[in-house]
Amino acid sequence: MEAKGIELEAAADDVLVVAVEGEHDIYTAPVLRQRLDEALATGGGIVVDLTGATFVDSSVLGALLDARRRALDAGHGYVVCVGETVEPGVQRILDITGLVPVLPVLRTRDEAVAAARAANGAAPT
Amino acid sequence: MTAAPEVLLTLPARPEGIGLVRQALAGMADALDFDEAVLADMKMAVTEACTNVVVHAYPQGEGMLEVEMLAAENGVTIVVRDHGFGIHPHAADAAATPALGLGLPLIAALSDAYELHGGAGAGTEVRMTFAFVRDHDPAAGRPVTGTVGPDGIWDCGA
Repeated sequence: MEAKGIELEAAADDVLVVAVEGEHDIYTAPVLRQRLDEALATGGGIVVDLTGATFVDSSVLGALLDARRRALDAGHGYVVCVGETVEPGVQRILDITGLVPVLPVLRTRDEAVAAARAANGAAPT
Repeated sequence: MTAAPEVLLTLPARPEGIGLVRQALAGMADALDFDEAVLADMKMAVTEACTNVVVHAYPQGEGMLEVEMLAAENGVTIVVRDHGFGIHPHAADAAATPALGLGLPLIAALSDAYELHGGAGAGTEVRMTFAFVRDHDPAAGRPVTGTVGPDGIWDCGA
């Protein structure tokens, strides 16, 4: 087992995508935190794309929520997307924690990139 | 259904072992008649129970994580056990380890029944039961309440 499947991808000039694939838990959450730190350091909007993820636990949610808070504090757009068909190991934890509207979670990467770009430069909340 | 499999996994309480526990659950579920949604809930609840052991059980150093799988007529019981401080978080750990504090609420919401046993210094045992087929969603009866607080820790709103 290795900490693979978390990559930074440029979606547009002002939005970076952190693409997450496979299963992720407390073992790989530090790698996710590191990638999110790198994305935050670029100063643009951030999309976390969980389309290829098959399982995420509360350690992953903790990393996503920390990055969200820091992105919002800095006035950067921050949106999570999960794709059109969502794995139960991803959808269920988002549903029962009520985090879909909080993070927020959208379906496609295109929607998420557009939303993150639109929120870029917004006043800190 | 054939004879009930009984499995006992003993492994070091380290983050890299939890994926192995999920693979063992999936392998066991293959041999049984599991609803896919129940299997997904089982993987999540057991992951959270194992994470509690890895994060909180052995603040002094290394220790073992035990996972027991017991099959019965209507479902399986998974026992996650440690021989350390167990699931009771310590303030010092909480500061050092970024934990959301959602583990127990998720275990309660995703299992059909659960029990916690143990005490300070005596180790802790989380016993979770999952039905092969459900007549209701346990998350409806024991929903996760609250949301994330400004400090990044889960606020149950209680």
